[in-house]
Amino acid sequence: MSMIEIRNVSKWYGQFQVLADCSTQVSKGEVVVVCGPSGSGKSTLIKCVNGLEPFQKGDVVVDEISVGAAKTDLPKLRARVGMVFQHFELFPHMSVIENLTIAQTKVLGRARDEARERGIKLLDRVGLKAHAAKFPGELSGGQQQRVAIARALAMDPICMLFDEPTSALDPEMVNEVLDVMVELAREGMTMMVVTHEMGFARKVAHRVIFMDTGRVVEEAGADTFFGAPTSRRAQQFLASLKH
Amino acid sequence: MNYHWNWGVYLEQVSSGDERYLDWIVSALGWTVAVSMTAWVIALLLGGVVGTLRTAPNRWLVIAGNAWVEFFRNVPLLVQLFIWFFVVPEFLPAELSRWVKQDMPAKEFFTATICLGLFTSARVAEQVRSGIQSLPRGQKMAGLAMGFTLAQTYRYVILPMAFRIVIPPLTSEFMNIIKNSAVAFAIGLMELTFISRQMIEESGQVFESLLAATILYTVCAFAANRVMAFIEARARVPGYIAGAK
Repeated sequence: MSMIEIRNVSKWYGQFQVLADCSTQVSKGEVVVVCGPSGSGKSTLIKCVNGLEPFQKGDVVVDEISVGAAKTDLPKLRARVGMVFQHFELFPHMSVIENLTIAQTKVLGRARDEARERGIKLLDRVGLKAHAAKFPGELSGGQQQRVAIARALAMDPICMLFDEPTSALDPEMVNEVLDVMVELAREGMTMMVVTHEMGFARKVAHRVIFMDTGRVVEEAGADTFFGAPTSRRAQQFLASLKH
Repeated sequence: MNYHWNWGVYLEQVSSGDERYLDWIVSALGWTVAVSMTAWVIALLLGGVVGTLRTAPNRWLVIAGNAWVEFFRNVPLLVQLFIWFFVVPEFLPAELSRWVKQDMPAKEFFTATICLGLFTSARVAEQVRSGIQSLPRGQKMAGLAMGFTLAQTYRYVILPMAFRIVIPPLTSEFMNIIKNSAVAFAIGLMELTFISRQMIEESGQVFESLLAATILYTVCAFAANRVMAFIEARARVPGYIAGAK
């Protein structure tokens, strides 16, 4: 069963086309890595999945609900799709635990105690239980991103979107975030991940999508993609990462 | 300089009645504070709403918000006051117009308050808009991605930070509204400026009269500054450095 289906999505900023006829799908329990050079449209594509970026043509269907349809209750759909951003985007004026509970109570209508319990459990899971009362500004980048993952998980999402989750981090903090993501993948979470971390892709990705100039250029199993990429652009891209 | 100082003038009786000049000054201070505080509440509420609308994803709301700001910002305060006092009542329905012109209690107070409140709301709206737009764009996306509606995203994510960021410029506006309340003398509200002029005429003590007004305006503006500094300290976000992303 496909959890996310991207069907012929095109998007323009004025005259400039950022996405050209992109299609792919992510099955339930599958981990798909999206990679490609900067400006290839990968971040834009992943933001189309929960409707944060509007698109002019095609459609995205998440759990059989059309993102592009006018009558779709987007907030309701987004509440079921977890998202992690490059710059964490924690709410700076709320403590860590408040970051984890606010949407649970205001969007899902959970009781405060229940939300808090769920939040503490998830903080424990990402190794940050002791920091519950701190504010995001008092944490390191790696810690903030782990809180952001926990915040998304607190909503019990049906799938998770990661938009370059480690590219704003200092190198020594990348692994602590990737470890959480690997664990999540191994538990069977459906994940779509925009990243340049090819080690992560090799370890857990079922499939790799390579994008360039707004197009899906290549789509293959992780082994095939890294072992024998067919397109010339993908070969160049992989070679450039090795340097 | 040949000036006859008379520091005892404040305790002397006014020539036109049995009050002392000090009684006049205290009452005038009351009007100044009342106009400033009420106008400040109006300015904060309206300015917050208009400033927020100017960032809304709707062209007509943005245009309406911009028009509001440009009108109240580009016409001199004194002219606005005269418009509210002399012109607006003429355009009210006949019955209401008659009541405003003849029977309305504390007419000068309400006119000055509304005028000053709306004038300052335009300036507050401009601060609030810039505060909202100074936040990283990802904050709005993060709010929406959590399943918040746009209104909830403003309520829980954007406005709490935007208002914190604009506390320093709002402090200036709060101090300005106290000083700007002096224009109300022009329509006869017996606030500090009006009374100090009155005191000059009746007592002839120019310096003492103006000194009283000067000191009391300074004290009020300084108090406003301290109140805002207190709020700023209380609202401070641990670990957050303004401008850092």
